Amino acid sequence: MAKTYDYLFKLLLIGDSGVGKTCVLFRFSEDAFNTTFISTIGIDFKIRTIDLDGKKIKLQIWDTAGQERFRTITTAYYRGAMGIMLVYDITNEKSFENIKNWIRNIEENASADVEKMLLGNKCELEEKRQVSKERGEQLAIEYGIKFIETSAKASIRVEEAFFTLARDIKAKMEKKLEASNPPKGGHQLRTSEPQKKPTSWLSRCTLL
Amino acid sequence: MPDCSATYETEVEEGQNKRVVKCKFCSSIILTPTTAAFSTFEYDLPVMKPNKDSTSPPETENISYFWAVKDMFTFFNVGFSNTVGNTKYLTCADCEAGPIGYHDITSKMSYVALPRVSHSDPV
Repeated sequence: MAKTYDYLFKLLLIGDSGVGKTCVLFRFSEDAFNTTFISTIGIDFKIRTIDLDGKKIKLQIWDTAGQERFRTITTAYYRGAMGIMLVYDITNEKSFENIKNWIRNIEENASADVEKMLLGNKCELEEKRQVSKERGEQLAIEYGIKFIETSAKASIRVEEAFFTLARDIKAKMEKKLEASNPPKGGHQLRTSEPQKKPTSWLSRCTLL
Repeated sequence: MPDCSATYETEVEEGQNKRVVKCKFCSSIILTPTTAAFSTFEYDLPVMKPNKDSTSPPETENISYFWAVKDMFTFFNVGFSNTVGNTKYLTCADCEAGPIGYHDITSKMSYVALPRVSHSDPV
């Protein structure tokens, strides 16, 4: 049977316990299912399909599922990952401070060209906020990655976050593909060719 | 128990799912039309309702009608549980209701239980 998709991207959710990674991914779950057979054994990964510029993209998304408590996220977990969502809780200062540790962990264990994005989750809890939006933005600039505040519980901008990450991975892949199949004529990219104006991550973020 | 095979017959066209397969609870799309093969065999699938006593083995229900999926990436949206023995259980990707079926690690086949999902025309 023909493939039902154009691209398959493997994504990971990384961050401290309790930042709402599970919710980020999987929309807010009803408590009604909390004592079922499934909730007892736990979920390994999910498959989601999105449409990106007319291409069918399959996302295979893993949650660290509590491993992070023991700081045991190792190379095996990162293997094959093309995108990583770094998630912190805007009502939890410590979870924000730990993002730096997570980035170090990623640099030590994941492929160097893995696409990363920073998510400040639980933005519906404004009255409990400990981490300002500006600090999130600043950290993202520091690492040269995109940033967005989300509310998984209120389903705010979560989907956009995944679309953004997927779009960046797709762009990177297509660029690589182009580089390995240079246009006929045998020459590489010339300096005279018009350069794409880089889009500021900030200006893009406001679109989200 | 009523025999539901008659109602399922209308869901099958040329051995495949004629309509969209959705979650019964939140309508999340699990399979798009004509992506899974109708399959009949007997399998004891753990029930979906909350387990009062988590220490006892899960209560199961005998299921006879399935949508068989060869490649897991055929699914539109789905969750895979952690492995139990040789099996991963399937859930709704959105509300996590399940098991709605199972995945066999050895054969790499996935089976969605027809009585655990709903079917509707594409919008």
